[in-house]
Amino acid sequence: MSRTAALPVLSPVRGLLEHVGRASLLAVAIVRQLPYPRRYVNAMIQQAYAMGVRSLPLVLFMAVLGGAVTSQQTGAQFAGALPIWVVGSVVAKSVITELGPILTGLVLVGRIGASIAAELGTMRVTEQIDALYAMGRDPVPFLVVPRVIGGFLVFPALVVMADFAGMLSGWFFGLLSVEGLTTADFLYGARFYFEPFDVWYSVIKGTAFGVAITFLACYIGLEGRGGAEGVGRTTTAATVVSTVAIMMIDVLVVPLLKLF
Amino acid sequence: MIEFRGLHKAFGTLVVLAGVDLTVREGETLVLLGPSGTGKSVLLKHAIGLLEPDAGDVIVDDVSIAEASHEQLLAVRRRVGYVFQNSALFDSMTVLENLWLALDDDRNLRTVESCREEATELLRKVNLDASALDKYPAELSGGMRKRVGVARAIASRPKYLLYDEPTTGLDPVNAENIDNLILELRRELGVTSIVVTHDLESAFQVGDRIALLFEGRIHACGAPDEILASRDPVVHKFVRRGHVDAVVA
Repeated sequence: MSRTAALPVLSPVRGLLEHVGRASLLAVAIVRQLPYPRRYVNAMIQQAYAMGVRSLPLVLFMAVLGGAVTSQQTGAQFAGALPIWVVGSVVAKSVITELGPILTGLVLVGRIGASIAAELGTMRVTEQIDALYAMGRDPVPFLVVPRVIGGFLVFPALVVMADFAGMLSGWFFGLLSVEGLTTADFLYGARFYFEPFDVWYSVIKGTAFGVAITFLACYIGLEGRGGAEGVGRTTTAATVVSTVAIMMIDVLVVPLLKLF
Repeated sequence: MIEFRGLHKAFGTLVVLAGVDLTVREGETLVLLGPSGTGKSVLLKHAIGLLEPDAGDVIVDDVSIAEASHEQLLAVRRRVGYVFQNSALFDSMTVLENLWLALDDDRNLRTVESCREEATELLRKVNLDASALDKYPAELSGGMRKRVGVARAIASRPKYLLYDEPTTGLDPVNAENIDNLILELRRELGVTSIVVTHDLESAFQVGDRIALLFEGRIHACGAPDEILASRDPVVHKFVRRGHVDAVVA
């Protein structure tokens, strides 16, 4: 194969490497701003409020649905085959370690990630980012750091609340739908396999999702090009990439934690 | 002084600038004319490093923009006010907050009261009153947005002002107001300006010199009457097409 014929094949790889390089530079720029909280703390509080308080109803609603489905399915599939208290074990374990973080992550990809990417993408295509540069201002402490730190602080708290809501919902819908299940059975099952580290595991996932979703949305938003169509592409890209990223983080957290 | 030296820029296979050499002298207003899509705005963005050239350089007060450190580039940008084509006001912020951002530095030391006073004074310079301060850009007319854009650009008391299509999209009355504003600011602040436009009437009203960008290069550059008198077919065709003779006369 000639050298020129190989180039089209290599161009996606080159494009990916360029993105990795630019995203790494953005990550370094964020870290370099961290010692100067005065530059970003006010905006960070606003962002944390917008992400946390405004997302809470949807996060809780999704967690309630997740808990309800888990208890109903467990009851339906294991009734008669396993002790009834297993419903409590399955709900507690699956909500805290998996459903709470991942459902919250997926909700926040759509609610926060898409919003950040659309906002920064619009700012890029309407030259507002250029205007910041032109004023001698760095967009990183002004736009990126408040969002990423906001996500870092707020997402784990949302995940813990989602865990709690999912557990309550699992208990409530379990009592309604699983014949013979009592509160005492549910609590016995929930405690039987519970390990305190499960909560830390949930918080670690929430933190990783928060940083990943906000960082990727900021990076993709700042890379936005074109007009309204470009903003649409940017938003779609942020949603898809963030969804894939949180699923990959979800898979990698267990082997990574085993290393420590 | 701003010097563009052998500036080349291409986007993919599209060559936009093919060796631009141009010097903007201290205190003058240079108008950069040219047909739409010839790279006038692209050239302007190179002056403060918003775009990186493929080859060549821009020198601003002896600082090479291509080789400037991050700090040098920030220092150059603080000496330059940039008026964007569509104003580029931050639409999630009020006019006051837009001006505050331009007035203040990263330390955010100014109080609301002092900023309000300074912002009111800036609006007065662009013939707007303080009632605009608490409005969002979406609540302003096109002409008002342009003026706020100019107010934001002059907030840091710049030595240079770069105007990107300042009259585009405005009605004739507002366009004339912006032209008068450019002339007033030059008189009041003594700034050196580059005005990118394809509005010939505006160009001949505000420009001390006029440069014509054509096919990636400066095709002609001179005083307005020299440009009008030019026998070069490209210049002649471009100027005649705008029927500006009567305006200048």
